[in-house]
Amino acid sequence: MIPVSDAELASFMEESLRPDEMARIEAALRESAPLRARLDAVRQARNRGWHSVGAIWRAHRLSCPPRAELGSFLLDALDPDRQDYVRFHTEVVGCRICLANLEDLRGRQAEQAEVTRKRRSRLFQSSVAHVPRPRGARP
Amino acid sequence: MASVTSDHLLIERICAGDAAAWEQLIDRYEGRLLAFVASRLQDRAASEDVVQETFVGFLTSLPHFDRSRDLGTYLFSIAAHKLTDHLRKYGRRPWEAAGASDGDGRPLDELPGHARAASSIALSGERHASEDGRLADALRALIAQWAERGQFERLKCMELLFVRGWPNKEVAARVGITEQAVANYKHQTITQLRRLIRDAGVADATVVELAEGERS
Repeated sequence: MIPVSDAELASFMEESLRPDEMARIEAALRESAPLRARLDAVRQARNRGWHSVGAIWRAHRLSCPPRAELGSFLLDALDPDRQDYVRFHTEVVGCRICLANLEDLRGRQAEQAEVTRKRRSRLFQSSVAHVPRPRGARP
Repeated sequence: MASVTSDHLLIERICAGDAAAWEQLIDRYEGRLLAFVASRLQDRAASEDVVQETFVGFLTSLPHFDRSRDLGTYLFSIAAHKLTDHLRKYGRRPWEAAGASDGDGRPLDELPGHARAASSIALSGERHASEDGRLADALRALIAQWAERGQFERLKCMELLFVRGWPNKEVAARVGITEQAVANYKHQTITQLRRLIRDAGVADATVVELAEGERS
């Protein structure tokens, strides 16, 4: 397992890591005084006004795909390179906000599917009587 | 159509007291915020409470909200702080003194007005945020350029190096390239960053990753 980096400690403070990684670091912080000291150092660097490329990248979501693109990702409708990148961004980098957006979009798609199913069912029920009967069938 | 109404227009309407606009904003953002919080708490009722506090926090901060900011990103940042407060309250962060770091990284616009005026920290924070904003614009352009050119391998490397802070060796293994290739990407990007940072009027000695590069 890769040791916890300073960038990950900063991400931990920002609540921006995947939940399983948040839990792993939370557990490690309970056990390790040196790790807690590093967390303090990361916090102090930020409070002293240092800039961080990683922190800016995360805070401004510089590589997060637009939400519409996440929707297309769920439909496997992006160009292969882009599809691969969105998978990397969510699964490997573990962008928590994009993961939350994906879960929300999946839920909305499921709701939409249910609405569509009901609408089609209503259409079927209201029109099925007009379907021609097979020859010889009783009225 | 409601779905194409821009966030900024919604905010204008909310500021004018339009309850329907507020309902629309909740409908637009509640699901993703709940997914964000619930993935961490595994407690539906507590997660809904945190999301409620997030929306109330947003309304409280509305007079100070910088309209140039992305609303979704701002709401997630409030949710992250409300979630952190919740975790502290329920003892998930016993190593932190209660209330010791409540202001850490909290969006300035979410701080109460009098605290902003009284605090020199907030003033230096505003300068810091302004510099961060300029750096973000420069970085965004660089990342967009990589994506437009299809340089996804470079983008993946830089994301793991800067966003996750992984060592070159692990980045190389994950992306499936040599350590030397990662080192080359890193060197080229650091050179570009130094130029961008100077152009943004920021001293590169105040940028953690560049200072680390000089030490190593």
